[in-house]
Amino acid sequence: MIKTINVILAITSVCALVWVYALKYQVEETAQEKVSLQAHIERQEGQLSLLQADWAALTQPGHIAPIVARHQASLDLAPIDQKQFSDFASLPMRPTAPDTQAMDALFEALATGVDPADNLTVGN
Amino acid sequence: MASVTEGFAPIALEGGQKARGNLTKARIRWVIAALLVVFGIVGGRLVQLGTVVQDSTIEGQARDVITASRPPILDRNGLEMAVDIRVPSLFAEPRRIIDVDEAIEAIRTVLPDLSVDFLRQRLSGDRGFVWLKRELTPAVQDKIMGLGIPGLDFLTESKRFYPGGREVSHVMGAVNIDNQGIAGIERHMDTSQDIALLQSLGLARDAALAPVSLSLDMRVQHVMYEQLKDTLTRYKAIAAAGVIVDVHTGEVLALASLPDFDPNDPASALEKDSFNRITSGIFELGSTFKTVTFAAALDSGKVRMSDSFDARFGIRFGRFTIDDFHGKHRVLSVPEIYKYSSNIGTIKIMQELGKDEFRDFLTKLGFDKRVPFELPEMRNPSVPAKFSEIVAATASFGHGLSVSPLHMAVAVSAFVNGGNYVPPTLYHRDQAEAESLYSRVISPQTSASIRYLMRLNALEGSGTRMNAMADGYRVGGKTGTAEKVVNGRYANGKNLNVFASAFPLDDPKYAMVILVDEPQAENERSGTTAGWNAGEVTGRIVQRIAPMLGIRPEFGEMIEQAMIPAQLR
Repeated sequence: MIKTINVILAITSVCALVWVYALKYQVEETAQEKVSLQAHIERQEGQLSLLQADWAALTQPGHIAPIVARHQASLDLAPIDQKQFSDFASLPMRPTAPDTQAMDALFEALATGVDPADNLTVGN
Repeated sequence: MASVTEGFAPIALEGGQKARGNLTKARIRWVIAALLVVFGIVGGRLVQLGTVVQDSTIEGQARDVITASRPPILDRNGLEMAVDIRVPSLFAEPRRIIDVDEAIEAIRTVLPDLSVDFLRQRLSGDRGFVWLKRELTPAVQDKIMGLGIPGLDFLTESKRFYPGGREVSHVMGAVNIDNQGIAGIERHMDTSQDIALLQSLGLARDAALAPVSLSLDMRVQHVMYEQLKDTLTRYKAIAAAGVIVDVHTGEVLALASLPDFDPNDPASALEKDSFNRITSGIFELGSTFKTVTFAAALDSGKVRMSDSFDARFGIRFGRFTIDDFHGKHRVLSVPEIYKYSSNIGTIKIMQELGKDEFRDFLTKLGFDKRVPFELPEMRNPSVPAKFSEIVAATASFGHGLSVSPLHMAVAVSAFVNGGNYVPPTLYHRDQAEAESLYSRVISPQTSASIRYLMRLNALEGSGTRMNAMADGYRVGGKTGTAEKVVNGRYANGKNLNVFASAFPLDDPKYAMVILVDEPQAENERSGTTAGWNAGEVTGRIVQRIAPMLGIRPEFGEMIEQAMIPAQLR
């Protein structure tokens, strides 16, 4: 009776020993993995913070303004002028009858190759 | 057992049993003792392990404090103005370094700016931790890792980075190498928002800190900064500064002062003259102060818009005579006195009000003490505690007393917003919150009169150059050209020019104060008074920022007519 119990206990303890060691190595491995993941995350967070700082620096008005100034001529950009603002209320009312004389003058001008719209530059 | 019990008498048997019993007891005692010793050792070791204090400090500072981060700072549109970046810092463990000379040589191949003596002093000895160089780049980190020197390692630190650079220098301030605020809003955040406390507890970690949103608008700030920089070259001024305040909430939209410093390089803040002129500079603001005098007099009811004053002769105080700069030398109405910036008329108006009442009004406007504001860089204004006749007279047109431009911006806000003083702020504040802070300084009727006067000065007075540039945005303001005091005397030709304005004056939203120090004429035909420089700068700034702030240009007599107070129609 006692013998069998002893044998069982011995086998159990050997099993437990193997199991505990396996667990220990597994935990060590997991801890290693955790540390490397943490380092990875930290590295990526560091890179992310640099990228975010880059983005913030590149989107600053102080950074964009010189770029705009550089391409002002080629893109035909200009600061907005007060005269360029308007709304529907400030449009003139529709004339009661078509202005035939003005229409004739317009068509004649177009026929001779002069587009009156070309002369309507803003601000003049 | 049986043979033993048979051969002996019961007593002997009893004795044998007893002897065996005693032996067992003794054995048990030995086992107990052994167990106690073993458990004692185990327990003792546990206590020993429990009392070991792990030294987690780095050169006397907690590791958490060093790696602590700060909350990002955003402008009112969510654009980042200050962010933390993670940078590696190189440290060494001298006790683990095998060959100091070899290590020094290797380190200097990557970091040649570290001197041999410095490295030798740091690396020799038996210390556990010494900094070699903080806040390096990841590229340098890789190179040093590649050297393969034992005893060198990196710690990731948070470094403050200001994407806006110089444009926001005076608002942001600076942090030291341990990420603690030492100037500007950074310093304020440490003292009022307990960032310093969080850092010391090691709780200031990346995501734990919510971003701090400021009232500043980076677009407006950029325009302000660009225009002030232009001022320094265009008018060859030695300094320029400006501030824009929301008149209803007191939020500061832009605040710049030149010369400035680079917040990414805190040492540059020590350069001469780079102080914040808006908050920590106090100046005699000259004729812009007349707006204050007019507000005080009109609000008292002792002077009305329809009154007239005799400005034919200068006013004598003992041996001094105060005369007008642009002298008309006739009887002037109240709006004319403002328009022509008549010193004589303004003194008469102040005398009508009474010097003590005038002094009390300045107290009401908070001109006695610092403006309640977040930036720690502040200086006490210099306003005489009691006015004599002559001091009151000079004070009425802005001489003999010094306040900061921020004082003036806040006062102008109060004059145009309906008469409510609201302390300025760099943080977000909504209308309801601002209204709880309101204190009335002038009546809404007086406020309407001041708005009319400021607009009149832009249409017909010293602000016409400004108005030509910001046409349609209904800007109005008062110029101030104050001769600077050099060695105790007013120096001729050295002016401090100020323009205190507000727009759009039919429904005021923003107040602005622009300051230009010692400007020169732009060309032979231009002048050096405030209208030519501070005024023009104001006009250019408004022209750029009004569309950003959603203010439509309006033209026409109707709007101007509507601003004229009932008394004058």
